[in-house]
Amino acid sequence: MAKVYRSREGDVTAVDTKTQLTTLGSETAPGPLLVPSHAKSISRLIVTGISDLAAAADNATFVRIEGPGLTEGPESLAVGADGAQTTTGTCQFRVADVVDLDIPVTPNQEILIFGEIAGEDPGQETVGCTVVFDI
Amino acid sequence: MSRTITLEADVNTVDTATNLTAQGSVAAPSRVLPRNITKITGILAAVSGDGAAEGSGVFFIRLGGTAVRNGEQTLMFACGQTNTVQTGSDAPAMQTGLFKLMDADIAVDPSEVIDVQVEMAGEDLGDTCAVVTLIFG
Repeated sequence: MAKVYRSREGDVTAVDTKTQLTTLGSETAPGPLLVPSHAKSISRLIVTGISDLAAAADNATFVRIEGPGLTEGPESLAVGADGAQTTTGTCQFRVADVVDLDIPVTPNQEILIFGEIAGEDPGQETVGCTVVFDI
Repeated sequence: MSRTITLEADVNTVDTATNLTAQGSVAAPSRVLPRNITKITGILAAVSGDGAAEGSGVFFIRLGGTAVRNGEQTLMFACGQTNTVQTGSDAPAMQTGLFKLMDADIAVDPSEVIDVQVEMAGEDLGDTCAVVTLIFG
């Protein structure tokens, strides 16, 4: 048994809008995120997301995972929340969160990852998600 | 018995995979994995920045090289956000905690070389510094 780590990230620029995470930094088109052959399950997600707070607003962030690679259908997971009274002077770094799960998968099929913000529009939210497979 | 490799580097450009090849006063530490190990059991990582540019970004690790089985492994480990301050005021310090993943379970080959990279994605946050420790055994 071992784990395989696959990630995607992206910018969510509109509130209440499902936005697919399709890039990975310097890789602008990493292609489909496929369930590895012999994978049995998603054993955890590592999620992180933060707003640039270009607008004085408050929002909550979550990710959706969907696609034919998920045997039992789509799932969703809270990531965090941001807010600020002003658009100046805010700054923060924070570590990602590791969430242990047990989601059955279908090998060699695709998984789609979406980021979404709800509440008020803060400007831009950068969202990252790592899918960890047990193989 | 546990063995470790710690690497660090400045990560100053968005969407650029930056090799972690230094270790402070040791300019070129070995990236050869210990013999008799087959797993990375733990990962520690941290990053923070000088807040010189406005924006939001996420940070992730790439593990590659001849040592890593099952292809390159990518892990999100942090995010950051900065805004400029009002004239005449200062921003608070950005003191980040430590990302700890103590059951990483990544398959590797012993005595091979591992490449560790950190990348900032999203918007450019200015200069940042990242450190990663790999724990074996």
